[in-house]
Amino acid sequence: MTKVPFQKGLFEETNGEPALIGSKCGSCGQVLFPAKSVCLNCMSTDVEAVRLSRDGKLYTFTTVYMASEHFPPPYTVGWIELPEDIRIFSQIRGWQDHPLKIGMRMRLYIETLWQNEDNEVIGYVFRPTTGEILR
Amino acid sequence: MREVAIIGVGSTVFGKFPEKAIFELGAEATQAALKDAGISPEDIQFAYYANLYGGMVEGQAALRDAGITDIEITNVENACTGGATAVRKAWYDIASGLYDIGIAIGAESMTTSPIAGKLIPPAKGDPSGELGMNTMAKFALSQRRYMDISGVTLEQIATVSVKNHHNGCTNPYSQYKKEFSVEDIVNSRLICDPITQLQSCSTTDGAAAVVLTSLDMARRYTRKPVIIAASVIRSGDYAFRQKDITFSDVTFKGVNDAYTIAGIGPEDINLCELHDAFAVNELQHYIELGFCKRGEEVGLLMDGITSITGRLPVNPSGGLLSKGHPLSATGVAQIAEIVWQLRGQAGSNQIPDARAGLAHTLGGEVADLEAGAVGVHILKV
Repeated sequence: MTKVPFQKGLFEETNGEPALIGSKCGSCGQVLFPAKSVCLNCMSTDVEAVRLSRDGKLYTFTTVYMASEHFPPPYTVGWIELPEDIRIFSQIRGWQDHPLKIGMRMRLYIETLWQNEDNEVIGYVFRPTTGEILR
Repeated sequence: MREVAIIGVGSTVFGKFPEKAIFELGAEATQAALKDAGISPEDIQFAYYANLYGGMVEGQAALRDAGITDIEITNVENACTGGATAVRKAWYDIASGLYDIGIAIGAESMTTSPIAGKLIPPAKGDPSGELGMNTMAKFALSQRRYMDISGVTLEQIATVSVKNHHNGCTNPYSQYKKEFSVEDIVNSRLICDPITQLQSCSTTDGAAAVVLTSLDMARRYTRKPVIIAASVIRSGDYAFRQKDITFSDVTFKGVNDAYTIAGIGPEDINLCELHDAFAVNELQHYIELGFCKRGEEVGLLMDGITSITGRLPVNPSGGLLSKGHPLSATGVAQIAEIVWQLRGQAGSNQIPDARAGLAHTLGGEVADLEAGAVGVHILKV
């Protein structure tokens, strides 16, 4: 099976260190994810791609008990707040080890999201790694 | 700008009617509104017709069956705010003097829509959609954080649903017409934790219509015209500008625009139909609409102030939770409900001496935006 990203340009793994790829505006400093070639805050085109922080904290979460296009129920998703002051929507895994609480430290991983006939579709997930509450 | 008044309203019963075409629902509501206004189909000079899940020129098909052809018809889509948008556009065409009399209609068949029995996902290509986002999950995420920060309990949130289902029991247009207890709501099927089935609106079909004219002309048709004191549509800002996902900035801005235009404040509102797609939304909207300060919203509910017998009844029709939520019809139906209240025609759900009412709809999933749009109307007699 070939590993393919669920969408292109959203994340990378360099020397085993995964990161989401955002954009940062050179004019107003706004960080966006997914990356944009124009800053949506000030419309400046002076934007560069940046690797976002791997660690963040859980802003909120829910477990969904109906199927989505790719995920059988139940699955857990949430918003993770990164130090760049943006929120990332993501699948959440590993909550069996650390029951989720708002403010919990979360870490980014690149994992298989689902499989289709030919490919292993990979993407980003966040996991609670220590159970530590950051707020 | 001329003052604009509503002289006729009509609605289908809300419920599950998979055997009915969208245009049949639309035609039925249109005919009811024409009859209520006491006018003929040929009196209508223009129409706005809101629908999301049907095909092309749905409005022409509905109006054809109501005897209305050979006029300017515009089909409108703005998600859950579609109906409010149709009313807003009709308001403008009369306020500006372009036309003298027109109709705004909203119609939707959710049971025959592609999303029947499903959770509504974002648009194709949005990464969050691929990762399992849907409209209910979005509000479950908001509710989880809201409960965590405010200490509001699931039982208190469920009380919104109890109240609105109680109101819906005596509204002949309502879908459910059934009482539920807090336990019923909390123990119903869990869909997006902590949102259970009965904290959510259901799958509903229905249509509603309102006939508008200038206030001067309205006096020829009725002794009790209902004046549109404010009509506001506003799109959502970038999500990265929303500091707190439990507070709808677009609702706050939209309603403040409306209060300014109408020259009145929240203290002057006698009843409100607001967008309770999920029970938690109603508590959050109390704050954004200016009915109370943050932290006082549960008191407003639990003390009975927003009950149908309270000082400020909210969703006396049963709201989206009980009356139902056929997306594009909702904004028009809310206005029809307020018109009946202000005319004293709301039957056993009548609020005594209501002089001013507020209608609020919020909707649409767009990646990177807080929401698609908000619609706010203030009506008065």
